[in-house]
Amino acid sequence: MPESNTEEGNGPQQVSQQSAAPAYDPNILPDMLPVYYRRLFPHQPFYRWLSYGLSEDGIFTNREISFTLHDDIYVRYLCYDTPADLEKDICARNPYKIDIGAVMSTRPKNFRIVPGGITPVQRELVFDIDMTDYDEVRTCCSGAEVCQKCWKFMVLAARILESALREDFGFEHVLWIFSGRRGIHCWVCDQQARLLDARGRSAVAEYLNIINYVTYKGSSTPRIQLGDRIHHSLRRALKFVEPMFEEIILDDQNLFGTPKGVSKLMHIISDDGARNELAVYLQKSHEDGTHSRAIWESFARFANSMRTSAANVWSRKLKHVVEEVQLCLLYPRLDINVTKGFNHLLKAPFCIHPATGKVCVPFSVSAVAKFDPTTVPTISQLLQEINAFDDKTKSYMEMPEDKSRIKDHKKTSMFKGVLVFEEFLRKLERSFKENSMDF
Amino acid sequence: MDFHLKKRQRSDIKLEVVSLETKYPHNVMLYKYPPTDDIHIEEFEELALERLRLLRVFDRAATKALRMLSDDWKAYVNAELTREGLRNYLRLCTGGDSKHESDIQTRRRDYISHFILRLAYCRSEDLSRWFIAREMDYFKYKFSALSGPEIKQFLDVVNFSFQPLTEAQKDQVKDGLYESTAGQSVAKIELLDFYKVPFTQVLDLVRSRRCYLKAGFAYVNTHDLVSLVGTKHMDEIEQGLAAAKVFIDDIESDERISRMLKALHNSYVGKDYTVCKDAAVPIESLDQLSKTSYPLCMRMCHEHLRANHHIKHGGRMQYGLFLKGIGVTLEDSLRFWREEFTKKMDADKFARSYEYNINHNYGKKGSMVNYTPYSCLKIIKEMAAPGDCHGCPYKAMDPVSLKTKMSSYGLSPSAIDEVMRYATSGHYQLACSKYFMITHNSTTEPTINHPNGYFEESQIVMGNRQKRVTGSQPQQHQPNKLRSAIKGGADRSMMMGNDDDELWRIAETQERTLQSQQELSQAFDDDLDLTEIQY
Repeated sequence: MPESNTEEGNGPQQVSQQSAAPAYDPNILPDMLPVYYRRLFPHQPFYRWLSYGLSEDGIFTNREISFTLHDDIYVRYLCYDTPADLEKDICARNPYKIDIGAVMSTRPKNFRIVPGGITPVQRELVFDIDMTDYDEVRTCCSGAEVCQKCWKFMVLAARILESALREDFGFEHVLWIFSGRRGIHCWVCDQQARLLDARGRSAVAEYLNIINYVTYKGSSTPRIQLGDRIHHSLRRALKFVEPMFEEIILDDQNLFGTPKGVSKLMHIISDDGARNELAVYLQKSHEDGTHSRAIWESFARFANSMRTSAANVWSRKLKHVVEEVQLCLLYPRLDINVTKGFNHLLKAPFCIHPATGKVCVPFSVSAVAKFDPTTVPTISQLLQEINAFDDKTKSYMEMPEDKSRIKDHKKTSMFKGVLVFEEFLRKLERSFKENSMDF
Repeated sequence: MDFHLKKRQRSDIKLEVVSLETKYPHNVMLYKYPPTDDIHIEEFEELALERLRLLRVFDRAATKALRMLSDDWKAYVNAELTREGLRNYLRLCTGGDSKHESDIQTRRRDYISHFILRLAYCRSEDLSRWFIAREMDYFKYKFSALSGPEIKQFLDVVNFSFQPLTEAQKDQVKDGLYESTAGQSVAKIELLDFYKVPFTQVLDLVRSRRCYLKAGFAYVNTHDLVSLVGTKHMDEIEQGLAAAKVFIDDIESDERISRMLKALHNSYVGKDYTVCKDAAVPIESLDQLSKTSYPLCMRMCHEHLRANHHIKHGGRMQYGLFLKGIGVTLEDSLRFWREEFTKKMDADKFARSYEYNINHNYGKKGSMVNYTPYSCLKIIKEMAAPGDCHGCPYKAMDPVSLKTKMSSYGLSPSAIDEVMRYATSGHYQLACSKYFMITHNSTTEPTINHPNGYFEESQIVMGNRQKRVTGSQPQQHQPNKLRSAIKGGADRSMMMGNDDDELWRIAETQERTLQSQQELSQAFDDDLDLTEIQY
């Protein structure tokens, strides 16, 4: 069930319940985009975000924006002097996709004429997690598909990342966006994060990226070495991972339910001797196709007995082998190049994903478990909702356009996402007020 | 008048004798104020070359995949320093604060030579980056030898006003400190002083999760202070290089120095594989070439591509640029990728998603930069993600898979063991040259630091390509094959004898680092890769 229905029982949602959502058809996207951008896209909050209360010079005007137009025409180095210019251009060109780049040293559109080129001066610290990186640990779907079972990987990823950003780095303004199909984006908007240089970004990215991939028997295998003592950030990650491990890996995915799955478990173990012993042990005690739970219990038991046995066949580096496997399977798999690049473009919130028609909605990380990627509204659905609403109230035609337009998104199931966004903005803006009072 | 002059001279000399010890009081110093002494032009050159040899030792150590400051690393560096005749520097790195005259002389050489190289290395981003990285290695090594009191003394000298946490403050975060302070036992942690600093000042500790981190602050113990001081030191050098760049024009008006600095600089530009000048390689021959002349990393990319008709971004970059380097034309390259990819997707999708990238690599789109093929160092550093086939196989592949792969290529078990011995001990490039010798039945061991170098070497051994000879380069004066292939030899004529040899060896090491260092600047432009932008 869409979460919006459970929480907002009135007006707009009843509309959406009355008629089944129309299927999204990519071919008519160009016809729908103008209406979407004119009536639904939250231009004003979008500007409130990118202007950061105009707390720094050029923070809005020097920001690189880029559009993807029809037939994959890609326009880079756009920039706008005023929010009205931005809105006008979006509505005029109706981009299939809007990307946000860095704030540059000068107007990005001058990139060819500035001697020495333009350089990025600030940019949100961004993270990108893509479901395809989880293909080898999910059995429910693969590639571009995503279901509620695989969403649980994202739930954990978001929680672990959010806690590290807040507790370890002290960042407060963290915006989470569903990327429209199968992944999530995270924008860290604190000033300190925005001003991190390339070295700082790469250090943070590597701090948070703990999984190494090695090629083992022709497939790439995640490996982690925790060592003797577990770093506090990983211990905290384990607190998130452990309670969900059985549910996700053993029950939902039944990952070790096939011989191939069991070999995945084996491959994660980096010590050759231990791996072979374990393989022999599991082969003896289980038939092919045994449920993952039984396999996992045997593995944990075996690891424990080997670890505590007086003979101590396994070396000390295997002390945390169980935890290592758990993290390998469930720790967030970041695309760290996105985070490292000072100048990396990332899709803006509230874009429409051209393949699915879904809106890239912000979500709140505290409610991430309730978020359902399969029921995120599509552009077709939104337009239908808004029409239905207009039909019912007949208000749209009568009201002056500029007043009604701002509120249009409230008539639809996109409302929730805008609320999350506005809540994020409210906190962000409060921090500017506090700062300006300090001085 | 005569009398007067003599007197002045004497007092000058006296001043210098007194000042040497006060000027260079410690082994470890921040290079803050440029030296104002007069030195002979010969000494100037000598110091420059000495410093280069020193930095090169650290450069070689960095490619060995040894952990910085580990015992193995130290052993390697010490042995190399001795071999290079840099014992006196070794004493700076290991000895205590001796007042011995020779040590003080070395400090002076250390100090002055650093400033000389600043002049040679401030000229480009890439040079600066290499210089800073190697200087930092050297600095850290020196700093690591300091004792507790010496560190305190050092901090006083450089005006670092850090107050350690009080017992009460330490008590508040003690669980975190116990869990997350790397390299120290719990008992030791209780005794150590900790300092609370913004995490941006100790990025290398953050990167490797070696300290406790809370709310944006890192908790650093006395032993890890090097990281903090290092950041300061690095800023100092960066600013120094920027400052040097400003007045480099003045310096170049002195021809004696400018000739030498420029020659130094020019001879560092190692072999450039950006544009292949030799031959056009038809793509029909790639299957054959991949078996005979490809290094393992590229052969695996090729096979992956043939088998899966797709290859991820990192692999496309690594393999695509390699192909450009061996002489595949842009048109052929487009055709090659298209034929393969369209087995799995329609031509339209290929045109939309991938063609741009290939054009971009050849410098025909976007920033119009003609990209350099990846060097070994860059490939070794590459972090592989799931489903990737790029990276250095000697590093990224599990030993068992690596063995299987090599035996499927027809290597004998004993040959495989030889390669494996290098691979498992972290000498990936040596493993690669071993592989080369085995597959080419060659007795001379090539220096492999670039996949395109491997390819070229292989073609030469097989007699398909001639050695490249630069006009001004006399044939007999070539201790190394690669050398003949390096272009731009004309400027080297002023470098004589041993120095010349020295510089050429430097140039070769340099080249692989430089290429890897372009990584950062490339990263900006790479971002325009359409396929990378998330849908």
